[in-house]
Order: sequence, then structure tokens, then C-alpha cells
Amino acid sequence: MENNNVSLAQDVAAVEAADLTKPIPQKRKINRAKLQENIWGWIFVSALFIGTTVFTYIAFALSVWISFTDYDAYIMTTFWEGLGSIHPDGFWHWYQFMFTPEGILGIAGESEDFWNTLGTTCFYLIGIPIGMVLSLGIAVLMTRDIKLSGTFRVIYYIPTVASTVSIAVMWTNLFGDGGFMETVFGIDLLSAGGSYWPQRWCVIILTTWKGLGGTVVLFVAGLNGVNASYHEAAEIDGANAWSIFWRITMPQLYPTIFYVLVTSVIGGMQIFVEPNLIFGNYPATGNMATSGTRYNIPFVGYIFGVFNNGEWAHASALGIILAIIIFFLTLVQFALDARRDKV
Amino acid sequence: MTEQVLLSMEDEVLENVQSEGAAEETAAETKERGKFGNAMRKAGNALKKFFKRIPSYLRTALRVFCGWFGFGVFGGPSNKKRKKIFFDVIGYVILIVGGVTMLYPFWWMFAASLAGPTYNANGEIATNALTNMITTIFWPANTSRFGLFYNYEQAITLLNSAWQTVTIGGQAYAFWRSVINTLLYSLIPVTVGVFTSASAAFAFAKLDFKGKNFVFFYCLAAIMVPFPSIMIAQFCVYSSIGWTDNGLAMIVPGCFGAIMTAFFIRQYLYGMPTAILEAAKIDGAGYWRQFVSFVIPLAKPAIMAQFILSFMGSWNNYLAPQVFITEDMWKPLTLAIGQLDTSYGTDVTNAPSVMAASVLALLPILILFAIFQKTIIGSIMLTGSKE
Repeated sequence: MENNNVSLAQDVAAVEAADLTKPIPQKRKINRAKLQENIWGWIFVSALFIGTTVFTYIAFALSVWISFTDYDAYIMTTFWEGLGSIHPDGFWHWYQFMFTPEGILGIAGESEDFWNTLGTTCFYLIGIPIGMVLSLGIAVLMTRDIKLSGTFRVIYYIPTVASTVSIAVMWTNLFGDGGFMETVFGIDLLSAGGSYWPQRWCVIILTTWKGLGGTVVLFVAGLNGVNASYHEAAEIDGANAWSIFWRITMPQLYPTIFYVLVTSVIGGMQIFVEPNLIFGNYPATGNMATSGTRYNIPFVGYIFGVFNNGEWAHASALGIILAIIIFFLTLVQFALDARRDKV
Repeated sequence: MTEQVLLSMEDEVLENVQSEGAAEETAAETKERGKFGNAMRKAGNALKKFFKRIPSYLRTALRVFCGWFGFGVFGGPSNKKRKKIFFDVIGYVILIVGGVTMLYPFWWMFAASLAGPTYNANGEIATNALTNMITTIFWPANTSRFGLFYNYEQAITLLNSAWQTVTIGGQAYAFWRSVINTLLYSLIPVTVGVFTSASAAFAFAKLDFKGKNFVFFYCLAAIMVPFPSIMIAQFCVYSSIGWTDNGLAMIVPGCFGAIMTAFFIRQYLYGMPTAILEAAKIDGAGYWRQFVSFVIPLAKPAIMAQFILSFMGSWNNYLAPQVFITEDMWKPLTLAIGQLDTSYGTDVTNAPSVMAASVLALLPILILFAIFQKTIIGSIMLTGSKE
């Protein structure tokens, strides 16, 4: 793209130089072609540009604005009324709310649940390294020259495309009380009553199982892209398979690993559907109503619960906090990546 | 003397390979590795001592045993072919076990959805349908006595009455309504959206206009904004203009295209020769003509892959309709299944029907994937964009 720009600049310079010597009509002709290209370029990108501006950036700005108000669906009737009323306790009320010990609208300890749900979401992130190690191993096995590797790739990818709602319904029964996992393996994760740790692990198993295929396909692509001549050179020099993998394959696979890590952390912070369908909405109870359920709600589930409760300003503020957390996590990863490049 | 020279040369070569692979290392890291290496050497020495104590008949047995797999142990010969076969077998076993883990839950889901209650001699229910369903391993203990696929009929009946307000002439039809809604929410925005994304991709890849880089990075930065942080503002606006009552909230935003789709098609178009477009230009084709009759047919594989991926994404979407759709009339299939799960998920008679409903929601996507698996996986491997 930069090259294009340079050539564009050169073109412009050439045209300007030509202006001095050539007659006027030719200059106008060139300009018209350039102008047409500009106009059509903007026409082609206009839909995407407008869509991004309106549905992402303006929505984000509105979200920030709403988070400063005390917009409540049960008290205010119109959107404009909500927008107009800045929170009486100050701009930052909803950003300080999680540090206050109070509950709101009759739900005791609501501000406390901010930390509970955030902690739960972070716990669900454990699935990412587990899934990456597993899928790296499987991808390495698939790229050995074996038969049927294409078939295996398709099989491993099936859970990724499957509907999360259906999968979650199945999971509840598979891991449920007296279910398949209990009868065959004696693993009882969901019916554990008081303790919520096994229930969380159930969600982690689900996300790992579902996400494995996509990561495997990416790693297989990355491994296929590794330059084979390095391998041959190292083999001739007498390096064994283990050191070839760590010294030659891994450094070249690093960009793929980094991409997978960044995207899965962004996605993992937004986990919602699986726990929501297994444990029910916040703060109401679903079909798995146990005392531990409250601690299995992810952060997005909390936002959704607050939103359902009509506290739209509060929910907006939580959304903005989530955006900031995700932004910083991504930033930290990129910073670590930059430091690695320097070393 | 010569041996030493040879050894040092070998070291040098190895070092070269290492430096090529992992760039330079800091002093601290080298030190760390040195410590680690020392520990390894100590462990190796201990092992050697241990091996020396092994009686000779055991050594012979081990040598023969490992030699059979191609490993040269205790001076036995190393066989590369046998070694490869050994690792191949291990690889296949792991891959097959993993593949079964991936596929088995789907079979379980299907088998469990057929479960029915078991009756004793008096015609009373001995084991209820829920128990029969969740204890299924390969086939339920008893399928429904009204026919193998009775649970599917039952599922449609239950789904039809999932929301009492959705009726036509007094007849509940929530299931068909939700299927129509799902199709509306996935077909319209995806078709229009992929077209607009492709046009933007064409402009990004093949046209030169002022502000191109700015627009590209402006749009690309939007993927950093997570959906949960903008959904409330979107909902407020949509509800104030009435889009949440008629499903437009799920249709209109998607029609403007998505940057990831555009990004992927742009990558694909970069590989396409510009000469074709220039020839078309010389023959008098305008930009619109170039796009419609050259770019779209040529980038068809990429566009198809993105179309199917976005279609699957919209079909499986759960959070957005959960937030944006307030009228039961306009709720998609995923919400209907979620609703069914909440009401009948642990019901002793209807639980298999809930499972049957989940199978129904899953089936179209699995069939689509079976047909287009080559395009989909190829496209993901090409760009690393998965949605």
C-alpha cells in the first residue's frame, strides 16, 4: 500500500511537472481519470465506511455517553430523556459503583458480583493455553506425512461450526446428574451441588472441545508454511527431531501462535452463550439452579443481567470497562511481542 | 587431534543453525539454559549409573524389544523405517481417539434424542424418558413407542407453542415462524453484506483513491470494539426507532458489510493479476462493470467461503437476538431452543424432545459444512480468519 502511495505521489509530481510544459486540455483529461477513480473508490467503500462509523464508532461514543447518565428503563420512557440526565452522583458514578458495598434494586451485593463475574471470566481463560497445547500437538501429528490428514482436519473442525445452543443443551445432559460421563467415567461435574469449581471446569472442557478444530486448522496452515530447507539443513548437520522442532519450527510458527493467542483472549473475555445456557441468566435462575450457579456467570452474562434489569446506564458502563480490559490485554500482548522481537 | 577439530566444526555448524532459528539470545537466557543443561547432564549421568546396574539378561531383552521398534538401545541397531512406523502408529492412535472425542457427542446427541420411557408389564412407566436419555451410551435403553422419530414431532409441537403469542388463525406456529426469522436474519444481511464487503475489498485492493489507507485502518480498528460494549447503545437507538419490534435490528446493520470479510476478500484479490482489469478498462469498461463482471466471478471461491462462514455465524447467533429482539414474533430458532431448554430441559417426559430440537437446529449447518468443507477449511487456512 505504501508503494502505491509513493507511486501516487510520483504520478502527481509528474503531472505537476507536465503542467508547465504541456497544453491545458491534456492535464484536464488526466485529472478526470484520477477524479473518477477517487469517486468510484469512495463509492465502493462507502457502505462499509458508513456502517462502521454508525454501528461501531457512533454506537461506542453513545455507549460512553450513556454510561455517564442514570438512564433507567423503568424510570425514563424515551431515549432522549435518558441521554439528557447526567447521573446526580457525578459523571463517574457507574465507574465507581463496583467499589461501593451497596446493592441496587433489591439485589443484594450486586456491586460485589462485578468482581465475582470478572474472576469467573478470567478463570474460563484457562482453557486457552490448554487448547493451544493440545491443538499444537494434534497439528504436528497431522502434518507428518500420514494418510487421511484432510479427513481428520474436517472431523476436528465439526464442533467449531456446530450451533453453540445445541452443544450447550447436549453438554448439560452429557455431564449432568446420572448422565453419560457419570455412568461411563464416573465424572460428575454439573451436579456437584455446593461446589462451583467442577461446574466451571465443565464449561472449560466445552470451550476447549469446541475451539480445538479452528486452532488446529490454523496451526496446520502455519506448519505447512514453515520453510522445509531449514529442516533439511539441520537434519544434515545432525540435529535431532526434538531440537529441530524447538529451534526451527517453533520460531517460524510464532506469528500463528501469537495470532491465535490474541484472538482467543479477545473472544474468551466475551464468553457468554455456553455458561448462560448451562447455568441460566444472571441474577435469575435457570434449570441448573444451585447455590454455586451465581459464581459461574461470566462478565458478559453480568452485563446482560444488569441490562435485563433495566439499568441501561450501568450496563453501558460495564460494557465500556470490558472494552478497556480487552484493549489493555491486547496491548500487553503486543508489547510482549515487540520486546521479544527486540531481544 | 582431528577428532577435536571435527567436533568443534560440528559445534560451529550447530550454533549457526541455532542462531538462524532463534535469533540472538541475551546473556541471562544463556545462563538459564546453561543451568538447565547442567541439570540435564547430571540426570543423564545418574541414568547411566542406573543402567550399568541393570543385569545383562534384562539389557539384552530391552535391546531386542526396543530394537524391534527401531530404537538403538544398549548398542543395538537403529532402524529408521521401523521408527517411523512406530511413531505413525502412535500418531494414528492419538488422532483417532481425538476424532472419536470430536464426533461421539454428536452421535450421542442423535441417539439420545430418540429415547423414550420404558414400561413394565402393567403398562406403567418403569424408567422415565429423561433417565433413558441421559444414560444412553450408543443407543437409548428404549426408544419412544410411538415411532422412532416421535420425539422430533413432539419437539416441533413444543417449539410451536414456545411462545403463546405467536399464532396464526388460533394455531400456534412459533417453530416455523422462528425458522423463517432465522433464514431472514441470516440470508438477507449475509447476501447484501458480502456484496458490500466485496466491493470495499475491490476498492482496497485494486483502486487508488485518496484516503484509502485511512479508510482501511479506520475500519480495521473497529474490530477492537467488543460487541457487549456497544450493544446497549445500539439497543437504545434501535428501540427508539422501532427496529426491535420487527427484526430490522438484526437485518439492517449486517447489510453494511463486515471488515473481516472485506479483509479476507482483499487478500484474495491481491493475488489476482491486475492485467485483466486493465484490459477491461482499455476496452471501455467502467469501474462498476469491472467489479460486477470481472472481480466477482474471479473472486468467487473467496466470496463463497465468506458467505458460508457468515451464514453459519448468523444462524448460530445467540447474544444479539437475545438483546435486540423484544417481540416473540421475531425471535430466531436459537432463542426458541434456549427457551425450550429452560422450560423442559429437566422435564422427565419432554427432555428428549429438547434434544431433538437441538438436533434440528444443528442439522442444516452440518449439512452445509459437509458440502462446503473444502472451501471453508481452505479459506481459513489461507487467511487465518475464522468467524
